[in-house]
Amino acid sequence: MSRWSYFARRVLLMIPIVFFGTTITFVILRMGPIDPAAAVIGASGDTEAYQSVRRSLGLDQPLWLQYVDYLRDLFTLQFGYSWVVNRGRPVWELIGVYAPRTIWLGFWSVMLPLFVGLPLGFYAGLNPNTLSDYVASFGGIVWRAMPNFWLAVILVAVLTQSEQLFGFQWESWLVETNIVTPPELAELWRPSNFLAAFKATLPAALVLGSASMGNEMRIGRTAVLETKNENYVETARAKGVPGRKIVYKHVFRNALIPLVPIITGEAFLLLGGSVLVETVFSINGLGYLFYAATINADLPLVGSLMFFFILLSVGINILQDLLYTLIDPRVGYGGEGA
Amino acid sequence: MSVVEDEDATLRERLADEPAPALRVLAVVAALVAVEFGALASLVMSLPWEAVGAALPGFLQGVAATLAGVGDALAGLPTLLSRDVIPNGGYQLPSGEWENTFLGLSPAAAWLLRVALIYAYGFVWLLVGWWSYLVYRDNYRHADWAPVDDMVGRFRNHSWGLFGLAIIFSFVVLAVFAPALGPTTVEANIADPYLHSVEYFSEETGSVEEIYVGDANGESQSRGQGGENVGPLSYDQYDRFHPFGTLPSGKDLFTFMAAGARVSLFIGVLSLVLAGGAAVVFALATAYYKGLVDLGIVITSDSIQAMPQLLVIMLASFVLSGTWLANLYNGGLVLALLFGLTGWPGLWRAVRGPALQVSEREWVDAAKSFGQRPSVTMRKHMLPYVVGYLLIYASLTLGGVIIGVAGLSFLGLGINAPTPEWGRAVSAGQPYVATPSWHISLLPGILIVIVVTGFNALGDGIRDAIDPQSDVDTGQQDQTAAAGGGA
Repeated sequence: MSRWSYFARRVLLMIPIVFFGTTITFVILRMGPIDPAAAVIGASGDTEAYQSVRRSLGLDQPLWLQYVDYLRDLFTLQFGYSWVVNRGRPVWELIGVYAPRTIWLGFWSVMLPLFVGLPLGFYAGLNPNTLSDYVASFGGIVWRAMPNFWLAVILVAVLTQSEQLFGFQWESWLVETNIVTPPELAELWRPSNFLAAFKATLPAALVLGSASMGNEMRIGRTAVLETKNENYVETARAKGVPGRKIVYKHVFRNALIPLVPIITGEAFLLLGGSVLVETVFSINGLGYLFYAATINADLPLVGSLMFFFILLSVGINILQDLLYTLIDPRVGYGGEGA
Repeated sequence: MSVVEDEDATLRERLADEPAPALRVLAVVAALVAVEFGALASLVMSLPWEAVGAALPGFLQGVAATLAGVGDALAGLPTLLSRDVIPNGGYQLPSGEWENTFLGLSPAAAWLLRVALIYAYGFVWLLVGWWSYLVYRDNYRHADWAPVDDMVGRFRNHSWGLFGLAIIFSFVVLAVFAPALGPTTVEANIADPYLHSVEYFSEETGSVEEIYVGDANGESQSRGQGGENVGPLSYDQYDRFHPFGTLPSGKDLFTFMAAGARVSLFIGVLSLVLAGGAAVVFALATAYYKGLVDLGIVITSDSIQAMPQLLVIMLASFVLSGTWLANLYNGGLVLALLFGLTGWPGLWRAVRGPALQVSEREWVDAAKSFGQRPSVTMRKHMLPYVVGYLLIYASLTLGGVIIGVAGLSFLGLGINAPTPEWGRAVSAGQPYVATPSWHISLLPGILIVIVVTGFNALGDGIRDAIDPQSDVDTGQQDQTAAAGGGA
């Protein structure tokens, strides 16, 4: 099987996955013990309003017709409206407002660990079994085990008290930013705006990227240890290639392949895990929107958001397969099924 | 694992041939159970029997009532390692003497003694477990050597894995002996503080006074800067000892944490049994039948994984919040079910590879052509190979589930409100992190980090013990498993 037909198969497989995932959401929302219309109305219990909500949500139809309508609306990307959280506002508009913050946060929480964890791992691998290796390795293990929400709570507290604790004020350092606030994402091309937005996201991105930072460190370390004694590296060294170039040209490349699932897996975790970090840092992103919609019983909004998440994660999966296909020529040979 | 069955003599017959070592083990186990029998009985009685009893037909109700009476009587038996035997709740007279504590020790010393004894008791169980394995191996196992011996041997020399085992052991003891380990009980201190009282020596009246626990809690709050604070390893003004300090409400943090450990462990283990069972069954089925079965389960598991786990659990527990299911074990059962239902695809992905590998081996082919039933082939010839890999990922996933549950209860979801859960302590202490009351958020978090590190270390140890050469997929699987859906 060629690489590209393997890739095409993988993409085709995504269609039933989206379909089935959406069906699960439908079962939870429409066949569960909660009546979406009653949940929207809340405790007031106005019969007339209840009936009208039922009608406009299509709940008076038979279940199979509801299901068909539900699928048709979502697959034609008609996400409907929010009913409670932001009454009457189209879901697309809400996504347009909330998504950029999550994307900005997600982008940095993928990039930061990459630029911190990988070099640390290389460093540990180049100096194996030294004190700094042990410190880095053990630090990575502990860092990985920290719950994000707890780390976020601690970081917020430390940063708000940075004046007393370290004698320098985080909030006014370089640019004036708040710690617990959504980043301002307007006019990012201006250096000052960019810096402010970056600084406002930095703590949250560090927290959200903490798990993958530890992973990337491990991978970097293993890659160095595995390739350091390879013949081609020794040859390069014998030729007089400088050490830094060896690391860059031979070691770094080998570390890339296992990095792909780490990065895509990270992007995947962002979707679900950003809820807690976004709540602690008050970054009103998609995760927070989903949380707010859930606890306020805005089930129509929840359904549409879940479909959006399914699309996103399927998209990430396709991207991962594409990257594999491009980077690693061995993928797809002899691979039976998925 | 792959214990070779003797076709001629069953285990029962081998035991009957040489009963002495087995009887010795049994005697020690019986002695260990006997000293704690009352605690065991009260644990059994704390299950929701009312629900079961109500569902029984009429004539059985009488029997059930009698049984309940017997159970309650047994639960009342004195146990060696209880707070009745080694009490730590006394008061100090102006002369400096302690009243009503064990041997007149200070409450801190009495509590520490009890903790040390309980851990020693747990450790004895661990030794007995190891000993009975040795007895079985040396006396009753048909095979002189089995691959599992090598694995155990490798694990015994794996210090990182042993470190993990030690931590997990301490965590399990904390969860199992929670009622006896805390300086006070959940009922007296957290659930119904106004139904219980403590005695203390009042300087004003110069005599011993009695006060409701609830009122005493109100005077021993931890509220950071400027407010009151009862830090770790300190006494409050009613001479109650708080190893971890108090919560902002004045309740004892250690008691809270111990009870929370029980909830976390329950959810973690139950969800893993469910998810692991499903994962193994599916992995064996897909590896054996391949083709359409494989494709169907790939699609199902990918669909479940396409939805962010934490968000689905959040949504489903909200949808189920009004039902009877949500009240079982204070919401813990629903969480366990949900973590199990959403967690099996990850485990299945992890064991699918090993299952496919073993299905290619000649002995599976031989069993097939021999005409063995598929279920028997899977169980006897494929399962032993897969179980080890399942253990690796189960260990990693358990840490993730504990983080996930804590994250949900941090948001106020999942476990119903007054029930202790670690995430709720972090949430309660959130405003006080950078104040003298730092312990409220920090200690639960540090405990989570230690426990999760322990599970990761145990997983690494098992991995190296099973297969020292291979570096089994340290990629995505580990990450998503250990991160608890990113909580």
